[in-house]
Amino acid sequence: MNVIGRLGSLVARRLSQLGALARFGFGALRALITLPVAGRAVAFRVTMNQIRFTAVHAVALIVLLSSILSFLVISQAARELGSIGKTEWLGTLLVVVIVRELGPLVTALAVAGRSGTAIAAELATNQVMGEVRALEAMGIDPRQYLVVPRFVGGLVSVFILMVLFDVVAVAGGLLAATFNGMAAGRYMDVVLQALTLRDVWLTVAKALAFGIVVGLVPSFYGLAVRRGPTEIPIAASRATVSSIVGIFLGAALFG
Amino acid sequence: MPDPLPLPLVFDQVLLSPRAATPFSLTVEPGETVVVLGEADSGLELLGTLALGLEDPRAGRVHVLGTDLSTLPGHERLAFRRRVGYLPAGDGLLQNLSLRDNVALPLRFGSTAASREVEGRVDVMMAAGRIGRIGGLRPAQANEEERRRTAMVRALAFDPALVVLEQPFDGLSSRVAGELLTLARGGEEAQGARRSALITSQELPPALHHRVERIYRLDRQGTLELEPA
Repeated sequence: MNVIGRLGSLVARRLSQLGALARFGFGALRALITLPVAGRAVAFRVTMNQIRFTAVHAVALIVLLSSILSFLVISQAARELGSIGKTEWLGTLLVVVIVRELGPLVTALAVAGRSGTAIAAELATNQVMGEVRALEAMGIDPRQYLVVPRFVGGLVSVFILMVLFDVVAVAGGLLAATFNGMAAGRYMDVVLQALTLRDVWLTVAKALAFGIVVGLVPSFYGLAVRRGPTEIPIAASRATVSSIVGIFLGAALFG
Repeated sequence: MPDPLPLPLVFDQVLLSPRAATPFSLTVEPGETVVVLGEADSGLELLGTLALGLEDPRAGRVHVLGTDLSTLPGHERLAFRRRVGYLPAGDGLLQNLSLRDNVALPLRFGSTAASREVEGRVDVMMAAGRIGRIGGLRPAQANEEERRRTAMVRALAFDPALVVLEQPFDGLSSRVAGELLTLARGGEEAQGARRSALITSQELPPALHHRVERIYRLDRQGTLELEPA
């Protein structure tokens, strides 16, 4: 096969996979809408568990990443901007670089790496152990019991962690600014002046987009496993790589 | 005169594997326990899948409690499965749930009964399966007998008229196998067991031979032979 043929085949494969992922996403949405009344309490409990694993257990990691990143960026910027007398730009820098761009990106990547891998491996194990088939045999739609709680849990968790990241970033920036001789009141003034309603909406929109990626892609790859245990690490790896690519593509689209 | 009850399970001219020369036909009558023995590659494992409507037959028809599952749309097929108890090979218990939660899951998810009623039924079923004291264990913490008992109790969650059991007695003593068979049959009435059952396995403990109505052996060509009583 010539190079163009190979390239075409690769593109066709990727597009077919994208189509399957889109079908899976719509299936999950339909499963969410048609969730039976009796199953809602169970699905809610599983969702809360997912939020505990994905959001609550990741708080320390997000606080660490956010405080280091904001401290480094604001320390460097405060020195440089101070030397040219433009410390009022510090707020714009914090809002544009950290709150608007790096915060959502780093949060989504951390969740994809930490929880996306776990979700894919867990669902792949469910599949290999015959648990998915047993659910279907019991009259339980696996998408309603397994996918919907992870999808909703991922979405909510990414949103919570993004807000946390931004709050910690502003606090970390305050620490860095005061270390570099800037008054706390002045720092808060420039940050609040730079923050607009658009930043709030962008955070919400990014949380939604990245949450969908982090909640759906690992479930898709986890349940795609068919043959045996050797496919579990492959599914986890594919889920992580695809989530990372999806997050970066999403970030580029928002840019 | 009322209509007679539908037959619990009918396999009509079903092709179990591409190399099977003979289509498979079998009827499970009300109150009967029918055992089909065979090797792993005889297509035996497909019987449970077809009876639950997890797959449609490539040829022929399967009627479960009078319904051809292949004609039902997805959500109706899913709801219909609650009328059939199923114990899959290898138990199929959810590893991240306790044994009690495994038993309760189909009821909590698929029943409109009040929470207290559901938990009460779970208590009764756990006691009947002699797993009441180990309900807090995860499947990985339980032994094979306890896991199999749990899977059996879970299969009976909705008190189904028909149960399909795959290799239910493998690795168990005759005493435990006998207890599980009693649970599966749901008690005895004048015309047979209260519940109909299809059991697929490679072997059946000899002590149970006299407690089931019919035993068949399925070979790789798809031929079904009745074993002598």
